[in-house]
Parts: sequence; C-alpha cells; structure tokens
Amino acid sequence: MLIQALYKVFRQPAYTIVAFVSGATVFALAVWLPNLPLIIRVMGHTDASLKDKIGLPLSLLGSITTNFSVFSGVLTIAIAILFGINLAMFAYYLKYRVALVQRGGIATGFLGVVSGVLGTGCAACGSFVLMSGFSLVGASGALAILPFGGAEFGLLGVALLIASIIITAMYIQNPAVCSINP
Amino acid sequence: MYLLVPILRHKNSMETKSTSNYLLIPIAIVIAGVIIAGAVYAGIRTPTQGSAQRPQAVAQGSGDLEKMTAVSKSDHIRGNPDAPVKIVEYSDTECPFCKRFHETMRNVMDEYGPSGKVAWVYRHFPLDQLHPKADKEAEALECAGELGGNEAFWKYADRLFEVTPANNGLDAAELPNIAKFIGLDVQEFNTCLSSGKWAAHVEEDTQNAMATGGSGTPWSIIVAANGKKFELSGAQPEATVKQLIELALKEK
Repeated sequence: MLIQALYKVFRQPAYTIVAFVSGATVFALAVWLPNLPLIIRVMGHTDASLKDKIGLPLSLLGSITTNFSVFSGVLTIAIAILFGINLAMFAYYLKYRVALVQRGGIATGFLGVVSGVLGTGCAACGSFVLMSGFSLVGASGALAILPFGGAEFGLLGVALLIASIIITAMYIQNPAVCSINP
Repeated sequence: MYLLVPILRHKNSMETKSTSNYLLIPIAIVIAGVIIAGAVYAGIRTPTQGSAQRPQAVAQGSGDLEKMTAVSKSDHIRGNPDAPVKIVEYSDTECPFCKRFHETMRNVMDEYGPSGKVAWVYRHFPLDQLHPKADKEAEALECAGELGGNEAFWKYADRLFEVTPANNGLDAAELPNIAKFIGLDVQEFNTCLSSGKWAAHVEEDTQNAMATGGSGTPWSIIVAANGKKFELSGAQPEATVKQLIELALKEK
C-alpha cells in the first residue's frame, strides 16, 4: 500500500521536486539555525561580495559533520527527507481532495474549496487534514530544537512523520468516502 | 469529541478496522501536540542565570557583540597579537564540539598564523551544568599560563583537548599529569589549582561570553581591524572560518 502510494505520487516529477525542495529547505534551516544572525549580517554587509554571500551559507551546510553528533546528524537528515516526502504526499492528497470536492459541487470559489477540503466528508477525512498539518508543524518544531540537544523530540518527529506518511498513503490509496455500516 | 462519535458507533468487526484507522488520527494529534509543546517550551525558555541550561552548540542569545571585552595583553593569544583579524573563542574544555573546533582552529592558525594576519584569542566559557569539571579545567589552564606564560597556556590547552574524551570525561587526576607533560612544576601547579585564585577570572570570561550573545560553546567572535565583528556559533567547518577571515581582512 505504501509503495504503491509512493509510486503514484513520485512518478509525477512535480511532486519529486516538491519533496526535494522542501526537504532541502528544512535541512538547510536546521543546519543554519545557530548562525542565522551571522548569515543575515553577511547578506546585508555592503563589503561582502556575491561570492561571500553565496559561499558562506554553502560552507555552513558542512557543519552537519562538525557541529552535530552522529545521532543528531542522522536524525536531522532523516527528518528533512521524511518532511519532503510527507509534504509532497500531502500536496498530492490535497489536490486529489480538491478535485473530488469540486466535482461534487460542494464548494464554489477558493474559500469554498478550502473549507470543503477541511470540513466536508467524514470526520476522519477532515481531521486527517488537520493531523497532517500538525505533523508538519511538529516536525519543524522538532528540527528547530535539534541543535539544542532535543534529540528525543527528533525521534518523536521521525516517528510522527513516518506515521503521517503511512496514513497519507492509506488515504491516497483508498477512496475518500465514509463506509456505510451494514 | 467530534472524532470519537464515529468510533463509539462502530460495533462489528468490519467497523473495528475503521475504528483503528480513526484512532490513529487523534493519537497522531496528541503526539504532535506533545512535540509542538516541547518545541515551543524549549524555544521560548530563557537560560537561567549563570551557566545553567546553556546548550553546547547553539546561539540564539540576545547579547551585543560590542560588549565583548577588548583584546588586551592579559589575553591568551596564539599568533601575532597585532594581527588585523582576531578570532576570540569562548570555549569549554569538556565540550566535544570545542574539542573538534580546537583542531579546526589549529589548522586555521597553521595557514594564517605565519603571515601574522590572524590571531587566536582563547577565553573561558565552561558550561558547568553540563560539564561540572570544565570550571576547574579552565582554572588549570590559567595556572599553566601563570607558571609558564602564554606558551605554556597553549601547550596545556592543546594537550588537554587531546587527552580529554569530552563530555565531562577527563579524570581530574590528569590535570597535574598534563602540567608535568608540558614541563611545569607539578607542586606549584597543584598549589595554584587548589587555591581557586583563577575562578573569578573564569567567571568573568563566562559572563562576557553571555553578554555578547553566546549561549553555547564554542562561541567565537571574529574581529576585523576596523572593529567590525562577526559571530560564529558552534564547531563550524574550516571553510567557514576561512571565509569569515577573508571577509574580515577586507575590512580596513
């Protein structure tokens, strides 16, 4: 089920790009976090050349090997990869839901589509959207504190992202309807 | 409650499967909530006074780099004291990232030291809640400096970082051994160390590190000839340090 869902999503290049860009962004932010004030200072520095402004953030990416323990480094990379996969699958699912809601004539206009996606269907579908949102925020929060030594939150973040990916895969593979009890 | 209503209505085995699916969602939300709460708590909490709760390698402090105590002859300087670029490092001898960064800085000085362009200034920033032994080790460094001058200070620092396993793992009995290794009088060294005469100086450095915005180690400030400062938090790669040196060298 998970493999099929992943195949369904990532055979479309756009979702692979979404996963790569979002995962890379999360990774970069996690690595840059301790030195964001420095990056901002150099970016706004008039005497710094374009080479300096590009080179410094790039070289700081290397701190994954110098400023992280092996454990927190692996966690950070895992969270970034899982975040990218999760976001791409969530985007795929949302698009699928929007199309479904629009076909059903439930929502009109953007707000209608959004509220339709979030609020219509069965309770599980609506809360699924919220849950996915929570998991993304949770993962970001976990990453934000990883360099503080909050490895326990990193582990929770990984677990949550894996759960979210599996649940998203279930919803991608299953029709978005509530079963009728016999 | 909204989520639980469908669960309560399900009774047969087919519905049990659906129920378990429904359960995943509130469970996931609860876990996410715990993570968010933890992240928010960790993000907003402010360090207590002193060195308690300071992490090893993060700087989100609200300090002012201009509060850095000016480099003077009383500092421990490796390289040309009049170098146009000075790297002032606030360090903890038991921090594993400081151990790593010490090697990085030695490599940097191998490259920039002979030309006299860069000087490395060592100051103390022991995180005593994480590494209770680091305070005394910082005092040991000062005792080495007192007994053998600047050269002995750096020899002691190099040896200490070499032998410590970090994370508060160095046996205190090793401190006089290091003194002996670098050629100091062990008895004089022990007398100095047990007197605690350098404790206040170590605390001064620590307070100054925090005043400049340091909230973890290693915390470094690269100072250009014109006084322009660049902060660097953590054990960053050698390439980053070199880039900042080159940037600082442009400042006249």
